[in-house]
Amino acid sequence: MSKRKLTFEEALKQLETLTEQIERGDIGLQESIDKYEEGIALVRQCRDLLSHAEHRIQQLQQRDDGSLQSVPFKPPASTE
Amino acid sequence: MTRAPFDPSRIRPPEEPKTETSKLLTVSQLTALVQRAIQSALPATIHVVGEISNIKRHSSGHLYLTLKDAGAELSCVLWRSDAAKLKFTPCDGLEVVATGGVEVFERAGRYQLYIRRMEPRGVGALELAFRQLYQMLAKEGLFDAARKRPLPRFPRRIALVTSPTGAAVADMIRTIERRFPCVAVLVHPVKVQGPGAADEIAAAVRALNANSVALGGIDVMIVGRGGGSLEDLWAFNEEPVARAIFASPIPVVSAVGHEVDVTIADLVADVRAATPTAAAELVVPVLEDVVAELAALERRVRRSAENRFQFSASCFAGLLKRSPLLEPALKIRRREQLVDEFAHRLGRGFVTRLHAIRRRLDVCESAVQRIAPHVFLRGTARRLERIESRLNAGLSLRLRLGEREWSRICLRLFARSPEAELRRLTDRVEGLARRVPVGIQLRFTRLTEMVESRKSLLSAVSHESVLARGFSITRVKKSGAAIKSVAGLRDGQRLVTQVADGEFESQTVNVHQRELFDETCPREN
Repeated sequence: MSKRKLTFEEALKQLETLTEQIERGDIGLQESIDKYEEGIALVRQCRDLLSHAEHRIQQLQQRDDGSLQSVPFKPPASTE
Repeated sequence: MTRAPFDPSRIRPPEEPKTETSKLLTVSQLTALVQRAIQSALPATIHVVGEISNIKRHSSGHLYLTLKDAGAELSCVLWRSDAAKLKFTPCDGLEVVATGGVEVFERAGRYQLYIRRMEPRGVGALELAFRQLYQMLAKEGLFDAARKRPLPRFPRRIALVTSPTGAAVADMIRTIERRFPCVAVLVHPVKVQGPGAADEIAAAVRALNANSVALGGIDVMIVGRGGGSLEDLWAFNEEPVARAIFASPIPVVSAVGHEVDVTIADLVADVRAATPTAAAELVVPVLEDVVAELAALERRVRRSAENRFQFSASCFAGLLKRSPLLEPALKIRRREQLVDEFAHRLGRGFVTRLHAIRRRLDVCESAVQRIAPHVFLRGTARRLERIESRLNAGLSLRLRLGEREWSRICLRLFARSPEAELRRLTDRVEGLARRVPVGIQLRFTRLTEMVESRKSLLSAVSHESVLARGFSITRVKKSGAAIKSVAGLRDGQRLVTQVADGEFESQTVNVHQRELFDETCPREN
């Protein structure tokens, strides 16, 4: 597994894949244990991603060089 | 020649003419003047060509609309009575010829055309522009369904290209926050209507793509605005917007106006949402659903792992049952089998020996019978029987003891499994096995000797009594065999004759067998 931090989608996909692998039973016991541990770690990782991601709303401003910088944004009142 | 520097203080504003109070007009007075001027300058009935836009049917039945061309707009009113007379349903984008008179609407301070009659005139210019752009872009494949990309299931960063002040942006942010709060929202403010709006929207789409990485990666963008007239939404029907959306590597969701409003941008976008709120619902899942899904997946991975472990454990248990390596009892059982076999053979050995002894006793008995008279024979036979029964008793006792020993050994073999113990026991068994026949052998030998001595004693006793009565026993000297018949005798054989008090030697002469009833045969002395 790479060091790169997985996105939620990737983590979920991986979790599904390894669950199916264990379910099919075509891998060895040791590998099953490894996959199970990996799966539980992925579940934890997914939970972290869901709970720790902070909700940020920002407005973008165009700089002279065409790049964008973000500043805090307060949305106007909703009509609904 | 030099010019004096510019000094604003030296510039004096021109003298303003003083206005007399009597010349001042109120707003109403001016409006009335404008009304009179219009009425005198314009004919009472005017025919105007223009495209309908912003048409609104009031609940009172009056129609309010704007007539326009590329350069100007004209507010129009169609009273209920006149509107009812129309043969068609006027709608935005329709080019019409309107007939009526111009008057000033004092309260709004604007002039209006009060339409009395209205006729359609071909197709509206904007409508036509839409159709022309649609056909061109369709031919280029901008609307192809195959090009549409799926939206990410769990976006981390969403960009909104819309007006920062409209209700649409508020609706979208509110919906996203409600459903999936763990996502970042970037608002790229743009003008969504009026001149230059289309270019601004297109530039924003491009800028977001160009800066996506710098902004942390934008997973999806929503391009749109709230409801409005066809003119208000027109920017989303323009080519630059369509091209920018088409070229965007980031998936685009369009959300323009209401359900009924379909723009070119909607057709090019990867997904068309009916409204901005609907777009927000499309791009993010509901957090609770995701959490539930994750929990279900966690249960599944746990259960599948547990099943896998249980399966392996039962396999292992099965293997354990079968494996000889893990089953010391089997080894012991093999040893037991050996011991059993040995015991069986040993037992058979006893029986064989017993038979042999019986056979020898039988021989003795027959010898005694041949030699001794019946009285002696009976007494001797009784004694022999006693001896035999004692021998049998002793043997069977020994056998029983041996068997008991065996079962004790076997019990201990079952009870104790270690191999050393087994080996010790086996050695002991083998020792016993070696010793048991030896003991028996000794005993047999003693018994046999006893029998032999009795036999010779019997023989001696029988000899004495018979010989004393005048009988003698003649034996061949060489073989020692008692002569009971002439058969087998030759002339010249040395003989030894035993009488009651001694013996003498002689030699055979004239050996012949007596014929039956042969009276003439000479008697032997």
